Amino acid sequence: MKRTPQDCPSRLPENTAVKQQQLPACRLQLSATGILSGFFATGVFCLGMGVILILSAKSSMEIEINYTKICASCAKLRENARNFDKECTCSIPFHLTQTMRGNVYMYYKLYGFYQNLHGYLLSRSNSQLLGTDVKDVETCAPFSKSHDGTPIAPCGAIANSLFNDTIILSYKLNSSVHIQVPMLRSGITWWTDKYIKFRNPSSSNLSSAFAGTTKPPSWPKPVYELDENDPGNNGFLNDDFIVWMRTAAFPTFKKLYRRLSRTQHFIEGLPAGNYSFNVSYNFPVTRFQGEKSVVLSTLTWSGGHSLFLGLAYTVTGAMTWLAAFSMMAVHLKLKGKRFSPDDKVKL
Amino acid sequence: MSLFESQSENRQSGEPERCLQANNREFNTLFGYPNNTIKTSKYNVLNFLPLNLFEQFQRLANAYFLILLFLQLIPQISSLAWYTTVIPLMVVLSITAVKDAIDDLKRHQNDNQVNNRSVLVLTNGRMKEDKWMNIQVGDIVKVENNQSVTADMLLLSSSEPYSLTYIETAELDGETNLKVKQAISVTSDMENNLKLLSAFDGEVRCESPNNKLDKFAGILTYKGKNYILDHDKLLLRGCVIRNTDWCYGLVIYTGPDTKLMQNCGKSTFKRTHIDHLMNVLVLWIFLFLGSMCFILAVGHGIWENKKGYYFQNFLPWKEYVSSSVVSAILMFWSYFIILNTVVPISLYVSVEIIRLGNSYYINWDRKMFYAPKNTPAQARTTTLNEELGQVKYVFSDKTGTLTQNIMIFKKCSINGTLYGDVYDKNGQRVEVSEKTEKVDFSYNKLADPKFSFYDKTLVEAVKRGDGRVHLFFLSLSLCHTVMSEEKVEGELVYQAQSPDEGALVTAARNFGFAFRSRTSETITVVEMGETKVYQLLAILDFDNVRKRMSVIVRTPEDRVMLFCKGADTIVCQLLHPSCRSLGDVTMEHLDDFAIEGLRTLMVAYRELDNAFFQAWSKKHSEVCLSLEDRENKISNVSEEIEKDLMLLGATAIEDKLQDGVLETIITLNKAKIKMWTLTGDKQETAVNIAYACNIFEDEMDEIFIVEGKDDETIWQELRSARAKMKPESLLESDPVNSYLTMKPKMPFKIPEEVPNGNYGLVINGYSLAYALEGNLELELLRTACMCKAVICCRMTPLQKAQVVELVKRYKKVVTLAIGDGANDVSMIKAAHIGIGISGQEGMQAMLNSDYAFCQFHYLRRLLLVHGRWSYNRMCKFLSYFFYKNFVFTLVHFWYAFFSGFSAQTVYDTWFITFYNLVYTSLPVLGLSLFDQDVNETWSLRFPELYEPGQHNLYFNKKEFIALETTYWTMISHFFIWGSLGFYFCVLFFLYSDGLCLMFPNVFQFLGVARNILKLPQLWLSLVLSVVLCMLPVIGYQFLKPLFWPVSVDKVIDRIHHCMRHPLPPPIRTKVKHASSRRSAYAFSHKQGFGALITSGKTMKGKPKKSSLLKK
Repeated sequence: MKRTPQDCPSRLPENTAVKQQQLPACRLQLSATGILSGFFATGVFCLGMGVILILSAKSSMEIEINYTKICASCAKLRENARNFDKECTCSIPFHLTQTMRGNVYMYYKLYGFYQNLHGYLLSRSNSQLLGTDVKDVETCAPFSKSHDGTPIAPCGAIANSLFNDTIILSYKLNSSVHIQVPMLRSGITWWTDKYIKFRNPSSSNLSSAFAGTTKPPSWPKPVYELDENDPGNNGFLNDDFIVWMRTAAFPTFKKLYRRLSRTQHFIEGLPAGNYSFNVSYNFPVTRFQGEKSVVLSTLTWSGGHSLFLGLAYTVTGAMTWLAAFSMMAVHLKLKGKRFSPDDKVKL
Repeated sequence: MSLFESQSENRQSGEPERCLQANNREFNTLFGYPNNTIKTSKYNVLNFLPLNLFEQFQRLANAYFLILLFLQLIPQISSLAWYTTVIPLMVVLSITAVKDAIDDLKRHQNDNQVNNRSVLVLTNGRMKEDKWMNIQVGDIVKVENNQSVTADMLLLSSSEPYSLTYIETAELDGETNLKVKQAISVTSDMENNLKLLSAFDGEVRCESPNNKLDKFAGILTYKGKNYILDHDKLLLRGCVIRNTDWCYGLVIYTGPDTKLMQNCGKSTFKRTHIDHLMNVLVLWIFLFLGSMCFILAVGHGIWENKKGYYFQNFLPWKEYVSSSVVSAILMFWSYFIILNTVVPISLYVSVEIIRLGNSYYINWDRKMFYAPKNTPAQARTTTLNEELGQVKYVFSDKTGTLTQNIMIFKKCSINGTLYGDVYDKNGQRVEVSEKTEKVDFSYNKLADPKFSFYDKTLVEAVKRGDGRVHLFFLSLSLCHTVMSEEKVEGELVYQAQSPDEGALVTAARNFGFAFRSRTSETITVVEMGETKVYQLLAILDFDNVRKRMSVIVRTPEDRVMLFCKGADTIVCQLLHPSCRSLGDVTMEHLDDFAIEGLRTLMVAYRELDNAFFQAWSKKHSEVCLSLEDRENKISNVSEEIEKDLMLLGATAIEDKLQDGVLETIITLNKAKIKMWTLTGDKQETAVNIAYACNIFEDEMDEIFIVEGKDDETIWQELRSARAKMKPESLLESDPVNSYLTMKPKMPFKIPEEVPNGNYGLVINGYSLAYALEGNLELELLRTACMCKAVICCRMTPLQKAQVVELVKRYKKVVTLAIGDGANDVSMIKAAHIGIGISGQEGMQAMLNSDYAFCQFHYLRRLLLVHGRWSYNRMCKFLSYFFYKNFVFTLVHFWYAFFSGFSAQTVYDTWFITFYNLVYTSLPVLGLSLFDQDVNETWSLRFPELYEPGQHNLYFNKKEFIALETTYWTMISHFFIWGSLGFYFCVLFFLYSDGLCLMFPNVFQFLGVARNILKLPQLWLSLVLSVVLCMLPVIGYQFLKPLFWPVSVDKVIDRIHHCMRHPLPPPIRTKVKHASSRRSAYAFSHKQGFGALITSGKTMKGKPKKSSLLKK
């Protein structure tokens, strides 16, 4: 019964690196000098990066004008939904002390508007926006159909809450002449959104493409009449609509609205001087203690005017240096104690 | 019925007693006994899925995810897509299921193989071959030599005289020596007469199936008469028939009812400390999860009240939400779903994979492969690996574990001359090694080729015809109770009750005095090629008091001779005064033997006057028949004749230690592992071996011996030992005492107490029985645990387990038991880790063990290398695992404060689905399979590195250590960078145009990757995050050893130092033996075997054979 070594093959395990746990490896062994110099190097890098980022952020300009309070009367009017068809405009003058050079971008910024609520985010139909099936409103509750059962296009809470203030920037050339600053509404979306993710249903004209659907309840006009000036900027392909549909992650957010068309007086950018925003006020925010503002900003390679990243790098760099110095001090002080004589005896 | 007293206790099924009739299947089927099929497998094709799933869902984490799945199906609270839980759950379940299926398949194959073995059954008056599984209760079965017994059966008859049957019970209890069973005479008369056998219609009533191997009670009713049956007449399944051509048996218990199967009951599932900790942690995590959900739900309520209510223009409340409170309650469950990632679903699976991997390393280790047996180490359980890195107490068997249980005739002293040392040409003594030339025994045809001896002078003396030397070997070949078997002419196989005796008889055989065969009256010896028959007149057997045995024989020359061998202390008192000077010389030699740690025996003889012997013999036989105080009388009578002995010499036998035992024990000592030896052997031998393998050291301050025979004495002994080791531990004010007086509730833990020196403790089984009683066990434990080494001798298997349990119960540390015999099974099962040495004795220990290998010294590697790595890896793994889950989940907690507590996730659902399963599992797995903080050479050279595990320092409720791969192999690189790369691939795939356009409502993130990854801000933030995560950890690692140095850091420091300046390899510790101990005679066998020989019952010599020899 017992098998002898001769009559069965050897069961000696294979001599491979994996099986014998002998894989070639580099062992991380950081010497004190290694760690300390690593710390110093990291510190230098972070400090340098921080300074560069801060300088770059400083080089960009940004002005923000909160018009929630300035247009209080309009806000009051909008709190009552029955006044939806009453026009309300307000003008906000401001002074630009320095020329904003380069490309200038205009944003609207909302405070306390929750585009990131779970229910809100779910309430959209990507397949409808793709134009394949304009009546696919399944996922859009509670804004999928109107009272009479007609599917809404574009359906859902996101689309329904589209930001619909119109903001026009005018430049006071001299005391009497105001000219409207030329703004472009194209090129404010992601290319992928404009050309892949959003598409109008195919048909000879837009209004027939959307036949059998109705406008979202808060909209004054149907989707194919969003831009009366540019027929190509209508339907699901409206730039403002696309921007709005890319929801923001935080309750305070700004979205790109227009960009400066650098012609005539504005080839250099926005010259210093007096300006005013003419807002046709449609979007209600005061009900939920929200606020609205409009932002003009130039950009650099590292983004906008925000100092956060630069400061974070600087602080990190400083802390690293501090840590490195104290570690070095501790190391030098305690190094002698590590090899105590009795240890050597044990060896 | 007193016969069936024990029935009620061991009866589980309704069967009160078993009733059966031979050769009557119809009658026996009435009772519905099972047939002889055994089934160890768990599943079949049909029930696999439901049963396996049911078992898997009994696990907390799996069940939790099932509940989660149901929650997700409720649309009101579903905050994540259903597939986020289904996919991981499916993967986890199927991995486990596949593993279970493979395991069960193996069991099926084993069962099939066993069930289909064939056996001869008596049917219709003829022997017919049938499969094992078809055997039924009441069948008569024929078993032939070297076959295994099919089922538990009543022995009816056999080929041997008196229907004796020799069996080997290695598979049952691990003992390899032969045992004798004997049929009752009424059935043995049937022999192999098939007519009689088929006509046999005896009825058996016996106890119902139970698991007691050494108990059986029943009654055979045959031809109107009752015969009592006991376990001496029962052949158990699993035994092997030896030295018996054939035997017939009546099947009594079959299949699952057999004692073998009843004994192999479900082995208790061993859990590791980490397992336990993991469960506790998971429970805490549940609580944590609950509280997080609660906080968020409250937050949501407040938010809905303050903001959400006014936001209804844009997002009206659902129709079923009547108030913010309702919304908050729903939100609790939504968050319960979202935060599920904090509960580590893949934890159990990953832990299993890691353990499996680390077990395979053990199986694969070439350094734990034992070439002579062609056996690699084997991890039989894959769940205990990390525990190997935490062992604090090792309980070791002695025989076969520390020693090889091979006795070697090493030296002897004959008539004042010492033989056995080897000298070179210059007269220098040389150590015996592989190269030393062996003595050539070719002149002796009967010599055992395996026997080796190196001193030529002894052979020369034999050849020369030295009378004393001849007499010496003659006495060795006559004075014993060994049995011989000669299957092939000239090839003798000895069956010895103790290996010592075997060694002596074999030595005599090789030097030309071959014991060939015996009957109850004669012993046949081939003396220098000449066959002589000695008449055996008496055997005065060994017992523990006499410590000697003698035989009285009549030589062919008609002289009456007494040969005696025994412990030197005893025999030298019985010597004739004329031997005094020889005695002194021999005693000196014995001292030399003792220094070398050899087991010694003195050999003497006496020529008896015929008349004197006759008179004595008469007295002896009278005494033998007396009923009162027989033992004492026999011993007195024996003493009358065992005196005035003429000294022949002394023998020295080496109880060979296993290779590397010494080094291993020294290393384990350094690793602060306490070594307890639990042995069934007697005190002298145990202590002797303990010194030989450095469990006890000569430098020890004191060795306490506890051998009291009542509570009071033992208590005294234990207390006085403690008084020496740590006097203050007896004071009331001692923290342990004051703790114990508070009568803490079980389970409590007795803290470690430090004595003032190095002490050892010896306690024997008899005293231990008292000491294990309730009120003394704590005394025992405290005293014993203060000692550096403890030896318990004369232990029963149960006591071994009790000792292990004791330490386990009060010390709360990891215990390891290592042994090779069936008597170690109980302790192997009791300890946290059981290790079986697959060596000399049977397979029982191995089969019950968690790890099995061939040599004791592999233990060092198992613990210090594999155990330590496993523990470190597991700790790192768990820390990292919990860390990554927490990080992942806490982001959602944070985000809730910005998203109106609306259960919105930060990540997209696919990322959540894959995070644990795909993106992060491999790097962690890689870490936990390949990481080595220090390599094996260092961990063996610095056993101190083992200590942190014993105190469970690396993973406990307080500590979370960050990911630190210290050992970057190719695979680590591959896993980490691969996972990262894979993440980006999956990202681009999931966000690709095609997929999004196909399923626009499932894959919504078209273009995100492309547009975001272009932004420099993203990369800058990424770099900053990495810096912020890494630096504090590195700084902590740097400062920790400086501020709070633990011994391990020092060791690691030294290792780094050594790596830069390589040291010469450590000097091998020289094997040294202590000076002053004399090892005593050690017969390890039971007394009373001699009586069996003279009674003639066990004599298997056939008349014709012996007569042949006489000629």
